[in-house]
Amino acid sequence: MDIQLKRGLLDVCVLAAIKNEDSYGYQIIKDMKPYLELSESTLYTILKRLEAGQMLTVRMVEHQGRLRKYYHITQQGIERIDEFKNDWKDIEAIYRFITREDGSNE
Amino acid sequence: MNKEVFLSELRKKLSGLPQSDIDERVSFYAEMIDDRVEDGMTEEAAVEQIGSVDKVVETIMSEYPLSKLVKAKVKPEKKMPVWAIVLLILGFPVWFPLLVSIVSTVGSLYLTLWCIVITLYVVDLAFALVSIGCLISMVAGFVSGEAMFGIAAFGCALVLGALAVLLFIGSNYTVKGVVWLTKKMLLGIKSLFIGKEK
Repeated sequence: MDIQLKRGLLDVCVLAAIKNEDSYGYQIIKDMKPYLELSESTLYTILKRLEAGQMLTVRMVEHQGRLRKYYHITQQGIERIDEFKNDWKDIEAIYRFITREDGSNE
Repeated sequence: MNKEVFLSELRKKLSGLPQSDIDERVSFYAEMIDDRVEDGMTEEAAVEQIGSVDKVVETIMSEYPLSKLVKAKVKPEKKMPVWAIVLLILGFPVWFPLLVSIVSTVGSLYLTLWCIVITLYVVDLAFALVSIGCLISMVAGFVSGEAMFGIAAFGCALVLGALAVLLFIGSNYTVKGVVWLTKKMLLGIKSLFIGKEK
């Protein structure tokens, strides 16, 4: 898949994974597993990018004697998901255009 | 490999990055391993799922901006001793030309690679154009009654056209190769900055 497209897609996926309730790294990976395989290193970069873009906030929670990082979606993060949903309609229109061209050529 | 070994090896191979970055990365992977163990996995299996240290380091490196790497390296955490500064200034006539030549060597390597690609396409274009030229002279040959010449020109056009197509496919593969090579080169340059113990 095109790397730019995939990057945007993964950002929204991670936001969606923490949309309903705060989540932590391993839980996010587990939640996404049925849909796409995400490596730890990739997730780290995405989380960092989202944090820098103020789409999520991080807090430390003590869990069984150790610290675990929980990620919480911000209003901006929620807006990013909505933005993506709108963009998707455009992409669908473009997809129809592309497949229509395919059909007429062959 | 257990968690302790994995994390200490990761820490070692990331040395050269800013300390805060290393700590954050290492604690991130520590949490990932702990959560897997809590999920019922053995420590070894958890580490194995994360992947090899080298693979992890490679991913981190490929995502880490080169400018940030250089900055982390150039700006030492400890203050530079006076003698080092004096040496740096006195040594300027030595290290500056060296630096310039290293940078220009790498730069010309890139340039050469892409020149090869451009040359391939130019030659390909020449084949295609001459092939069209042969087609035109074929028509001219038939019109002026020189049938043999026309047939010969047609043959040339076919051969050159085929060569153009083949070379075009070859060139596309070369571009892919060059892109891959430049990526590897960048990774190689980055690895000069990290993973070296101070």
